[in-house]
Amino acid sequence: MSLSATTSEYDLKNAVTPNRLLGLWRLMTGFRLTYLGATLGLALAATSKVATFLLLRYFVDGILGQDNMAHIVPRIALAFVGLALFEGTFTFLSRSLAARTAEGITLRLRDYLFDHIQRLSFTYHDRTPTGELLERCTSDVDAVRRFFADQAIGVGRILSLFGVSVIALLRLNVRLALTSIVVVPVLVVMSLFFFRKVSKAYEAMQEQEAILSTTLQENLPGVRVVKAFARQEFEREKFERDNWEKFERGKRFMKLHSLYWPLSDVLCGAQMLVGVSTGALMTMNGTISIGTYLAYTGLLIWVIWPMRNLGRFIVQMSSGLVSYQRVAKVIGEKREPLAAGTCRPDGDVRGEIVFDEVGFVYPSGYRALDSVCFRCKPGQAIALLGSTGSGKTTLVNLLPRFYEYSDGSLTLDGVELNHYPRSFLRQQIGIVEQEPFLFSRTIRENMTYGVRREVSDAEIEAAAKAAAIHQDIIEFPQGYDTLVGERGVMLSGGQKQRVAIARTLLKDPRILILDDSTSSVDTETEHLIRQALQGLMKGRTTFIIAHRIQSVMNADLILVFDKGKVVQMGAHAELMQQDGIYRRIHDLQTRLDIELEKEIASVQLL
Amino acid sequence: MSNYYDDEEELKTQDNLKTIRRTLAQTRPHWRWIVGFLVTIAIVSVLDSVYTYLRKEIVDQAILAGSQAVFRQALIAYAATVLVQALGVFGFIYLTGILGQRILYDLRQAMFNHLQELSFAYFNRTPVGWIMARVTSDTERVSNLLTWGLLDITWGVFNIATSAFFMFIINWRLALIVLTILPILLVVAAQFQKRILAEYRRVRRFNSKIVGAYNENITGVRVVKALCREKENLREFSQFSGDMYRASYHAAWLSALFLPVVQMITALALGSIIWYSGRQAQWGGMTIGSIQAFVSYLTFIMWPIQDLARVYAELQHAVASAERIFSLLDTVPSISDRPGAMDPGTVRGDVSFEHVYFDYDPDTPVLADFNLQVKQGETIALVGPTGGGKSTIVNLLCRFYEPRKGVIRMAEHDYTELSLHAIQSRIGIVLQTPHLFSGTVRENIRYGRLEATDEQVEEAARVAGAHDFIVKLGKGYDSGVGEGGQLLSVGQKQLISLARALLAQPDIFVMDEATSSVDTLTEALIQKGMEALMEGRTSFVIAHRLSTIKRAGRILFIDDGRIVEMGSHAELLRTRGRYYRLYVQQFRQELQREQELYEMGAAAS
Repeated sequence: MSLSATTSEYDLKNAVTPNRLLGLWRLMTGFRLTYLGATLGLALAATSKVATFLLLRYFVDGILGQDNMAHIVPRIALAFVGLALFEGTFTFLSRSLAARTAEGITLRLRDYLFDHIQRLSFTYHDRTPTGELLERCTSDVDAVRRFFADQAIGVGRILSLFGVSVIALLRLNVRLALTSIVVVPVLVVMSLFFFRKVSKAYEAMQEQEAILSTTLQENLPGVRVVKAFARQEFEREKFERDNWEKFERGKRFMKLHSLYWPLSDVLCGAQMLVGVSTGALMTMNGTISIGTYLAYTGLLIWVIWPMRNLGRFIVQMSSGLVSYQRVAKVIGEKREPLAAGTCRPDGDVRGEIVFDEVGFVYPSGYRALDSVCFRCKPGQAIALLGSTGSGKTTLVNLLPRFYEYSDGSLTLDGVELNHYPRSFLRQQIGIVEQEPFLFSRTIRENMTYGVRREVSDAEIEAAAKAAAIHQDIIEFPQGYDTLVGERGVMLSGGQKQRVAIARTLLKDPRILILDDSTSSVDTETEHLIRQALQGLMKGRTTFIIAHRIQSVMNADLILVFDKGKVVQMGAHAELMQQDGIYRRIHDLQTRLDIELEKEIASVQLL
Repeated sequence: MSNYYDDEEELKTQDNLKTIRRTLAQTRPHWRWIVGFLVTIAIVSVLDSVYTYLRKEIVDQAILAGSQAVFRQALIAYAATVLVQALGVFGFIYLTGILGQRILYDLRQAMFNHLQELSFAYFNRTPVGWIMARVTSDTERVSNLLTWGLLDITWGVFNIATSAFFMFIINWRLALIVLTILPILLVVAAQFQKRILAEYRRVRRFNSKIVGAYNENITGVRVVKALCREKENLREFSQFSGDMYRASYHAAWLSALFLPVVQMITALALGSIIWYSGRQAQWGGMTIGSIQAFVSYLTFIMWPIQDLARVYAELQHAVASAERIFSLLDTVPSISDRPGAMDPGTVRGDVSFEHVYFDYDPDTPVLADFNLQVKQGETIALVGPTGGGKSTIVNLLCRFYEPRKGVIRMAEHDYTELSLHAIQSRIGIVLQTPHLFSGTVRENIRYGRLEATDEQVEEAARVAGAHDFIVKLGKGYDSGVGEGGQLLSVGQKQLISLARALLAQPDIFVMDEATSSVDTLTEALIQKGMEALMEGRTSFVIAHRLSTIKRAGRILFIDDGRIVEMGSHAELLRTRGRYYRLYVQQFRQELQREQELYEMGAAAS
C-alpha cells in the first residue's frame, strides 16, 4: 500500500498559495478521488440511516397487523439488517478512505519537508531556530493531518446527515420538518461561540501547564541551589502559586463545559419536546400515520443532536488552516540547487585556489569578508588566524558553497567556483569541526556516514587507527557497533573529534578544512589528535582555522584576519620580520616561558 | 536507564489492588464531590432510559389509545426530565471536572513538596525527564481515572442496568433473547480495542522516531550538507515515514471497522426483535412503542460496551502511573535531620574531616580515611584531576551527602547532630555553572536572603562586582534572566550567584570555579567578588585559576580520594611534584587564553 509514482512526485511547492483553502485543495492532489469517495461514503451512510427509519414507517403502517404479515416480516427484518450493513459498510469505507487520504497527504508532506530542510541554504538555517522548524514539521503537519482525517470529515458527516434527514422529513410532512429545525441555527451559533471560547480557555490552561513544567524543570536541576540556600519553603510557595493558577484555569475550562452541555441539552430537549408533541398531536388528529410519527421522532434525533458538535469541528478546522500556513511558509523557502553547475570534472580537483578581491555580505547587510586576495597551490596548508568574528569561518564556508561570495572572483583549478555543482564541491572537501556533530548511530555508521562507496571493515579499522581512535573504540563493550547517543553524547569531545577525523579520512577529500581547537582535551589526547591531523593533511590542500601559534608555524601561508580583512599574509619566517599582530602574538608565547621560569625561580629563593 | 522512559511498563499484578486502594484513598478528603458526581451521573443515566420509556408511553398510551390526559402528563413528565437531566449534566461535568483539576493540583503539590526534601543521591540517579513525566503526565492519568474513569464506569453500569431493567419490564422474554448478544458484543469489542490500542502504541513509537529524525536533520544540517548525505538521508527517512503511514493507516482502518461491526451485531439483534415482534404482534404482545423503546435500549447498552476495553486499558495505565507516583512519594530522603537535631545559631569555627569514608556506590570507593583540619577563616584551594574527589569533599561539607564512616565536625559538633537547615542555610555556594531561576536579576540575588531590601540587594551586587553590568542591562535589576539564566553569559551568571551568596552572609563559603572561558574583565570582577566573600570566612574553592590558587592559604592536591600534596603555593612548587606539573600546564593555558581573547583584538586596533 504505497503511493503511486505520480502522486509522490507531485511537487508540493505548487501547493503554496496565499489562499489557505486553495492550498489545502492542492495538497490533496492525487488524493482527490479517494477523498471524494470518502465524502460519497458519508452521504450513502447517512442515506442508509434515514432509509432505516423510512423502512420502520413502512413496516408499522403497511405490514403490522396485516393478515399476510407472517410472510413479510422475515423479509422486513432482512431489509433492516441489510440497511444496517449498508450503513456500516459505507461508514467504514468513508472513514478508511479519509484515513488513506489524510495519511497519504501527511506521508508526502513529511518526506517533502525532510528533504526540503536538508536542501535549504545555510542562510535560512542561520536565522531559523531549531525548535520552531521542528514544531512546523511535527505538530503543524499533524494538525493538517487531523484537518483531513477528522475535522473536514466530521463536518461532512454532520452536514450530510442533517441534509438527508431534513429532505426525508420534508417528504414526510413539510410542517413537521420546519418545526423541527427551528432550534438548529441557534444551536450552531451557540456551539461556534462556545467552542471558540473553550479553545481559548484550553490554550490558557496549556500555557499555564507549560509554565508549571518550566518551574519544575528549573527546580530539579537547581536542587543544589535550593538546598544550599535552604529555600525549600520558598520553592514550595512558588510552585504552589503556579500550580494554583493551573487549577484556576482548569476550573474555568471545566466550568465552560459544565455550562454549555446542559444548556444545549435543554435546547435540544425543548426541540425534541416540541417535535414529539406536534407529531403526536398530528397523529392523534390523523394528519399523519403512526408509522410516520415513529420515523419522524427517530429522524429528529439525528437532525438535532449532532449539531452540538459542529462548532467544535469548525473551530478546530481554523487551527488546521493556520498550521497549513505555517507549513507552507517553510515549503515556500527556496532550495539550494545541489547539482546545478556547468563544470563537472570527471576526476578529483587538484586543489589550486585563487581568491581575488573576494567579499561576502550577510543578508542582514553585515560585511563579513572584504576584498580577500591570496593564492594557494595544490597540497599547501593555509592557516587562518584571527579573533572570533574576524572572518575565518566565513571564508572557509565559501569553499563548499555554503555561502555564495558576494563579490570578487574565487577560482578552483582555474574555474570560477560557482560553476561547479555544490554536490561536486562538497564531495571534494572534507571538514573537521571543533565540536563535530555525530549522529545517533553506531560508531561504524558515523565513520562511513557520507562515504559514497562500500567500505570494508579493514578499511574502517585502518582509518580509525590513523585517527588514533581505534584503541578507544575497541575498549567499548560493543566496539565499532557502540551507539554514540544523541549528538554523540556517549563520547568525549576528543573522541568525537577523532571519529570525525576518521570519517574524513574515509571520505578522502582533496581539500580539507580543519578547525584546530583541542581546548577540551588533556595533553595526551591533544598530542594524539595533532598526529592524526598531520596524517590527514598530507597531500591535501588544507585550510586550518587556527587558535594557537604552534599549529600555524608550519603552514605554507598564514593569513591574519581582522574585521573581515586580511591584515597580514605570508609564511612564519616572513611574518616574524614584520612588525604586526603576528609577531606580537608570537612574542607573548615566548614571554610566557620566561615568566614561568621567573616565577619558579622566585619560589626557590623563599 | 532505558526503562525509566518506558511509559508502558508492565505491572506487578500482586500490587495492583493495593495501589488501587491507595489511589482511592487520595480522594478521601473530597468524598462529598465523588458521591456528588456519582449520584448525578447515575441520575442522568437513569433519566436517559426514562426518556425512552416516556416516548414509548406517548406512542402506546397517548397516541394509539387516543388519550389526551395521558398525553399531557407524559409531556409534562418529559419536560421535567429534560430540565432535571440538564441539571444533572451540569452537576456531573462541574463536579467531575473541578475535582479532577483539584486532585491534579493536590498530587502535584504533594510530589513537588516531597521532591524538595529528597537528597542529592536521588537526583543523581534519577533523570530529570523521568521525574518530570511523573509529575506532569502520571498525575494527569491518575486524576483522570479517579474522576472521568470512575464516571465512565458508573455511567456504563447504570446504562446497562437501567436499560436491561426497562427491557425486562416491557417484555422479559424478548429481553432475554436480546441480552444473549451481550457477551458476543463484549468479546468483539475487547478484541478490537486490544488491537487498536496496540496499533496506536506502534504509531507513537514511530512518531517519536520521526521527530528524532527531524531533530537530527535540523541540528546536524551542516554536516549533512558537507557530506552530501541528502539522498541517502531521505531514503532512510522514507522508511520511517512509510512505517508510520502503514501503522497509522492500519490503526485508522481498524477503528473505522470497529464501530460498523458493533452496529452490525446490534442490527442483527434488532432484526430479531422485529422478526419476533412481528410474530408477537399477531398475539398482541408487543406494542409499536415497545419496539421503538427496545431499539433505543439496545443502543444504550451498546455504547458502554464498545468503550469498555478503552476504559480498562486506561485503568491499567493509570494504576501503573499511580504506582510510579507512590514510588516517588515513598522514597525516603537518605539525608534528614536526626531526632533532636539542633541549630547552634552559627557554624563559624573550625571544620574537620576525621577518618571519613565515602562512596557513591560500594564498588568504587571515592574517599577512604580522609582527614583534614581547617581553621576558622582559612581558605582551602582544592586542585587535581577530574574525578579525583574534589567535588565529593565539597558535597560532604555541604551535607548533600553524609560520610559512610567517620565524622565531619563543624562549630565543635558532629554535623549530623545539627539540623540540615542549620548547616545549609549558612554555607554560601557558587557553582561552576551557576543555576539561576527565570525571573529578574533582583529576584535571583534576593534568593540569598528573601527579606533583603532593594538597597541591600544592590549593595551585594556592588561588592560582588555585578552592579556595573546589571545597570547596563535593558531594565537594570528588573531585567529578566531567561529560563535557567540563558540570557546571561556564564561570567555574568557567576557574578550574580556571587552577589546572591554575599547577600546570604554565610559562615562558610564554597566555590566551584568555572573552567569555561570568561572574558578578562569579567574574570577580574569575579576574582574581586570572591575575595569579598572569602574575607574572614572559612572558604573551600575548587580552583582552576592560578590567581585563586596562589591566594589560598592552603592548597590540596586531591587525587584518588586522597590528599596527594598539601601546602602553600611556594612550598608545593618547590617540591616539583604533581602540583608543579599542573601549575606549569595551567600557566601556559591561561596565557594562551589571554592571548586569544585579549591580545588579538587589542593588538589589532
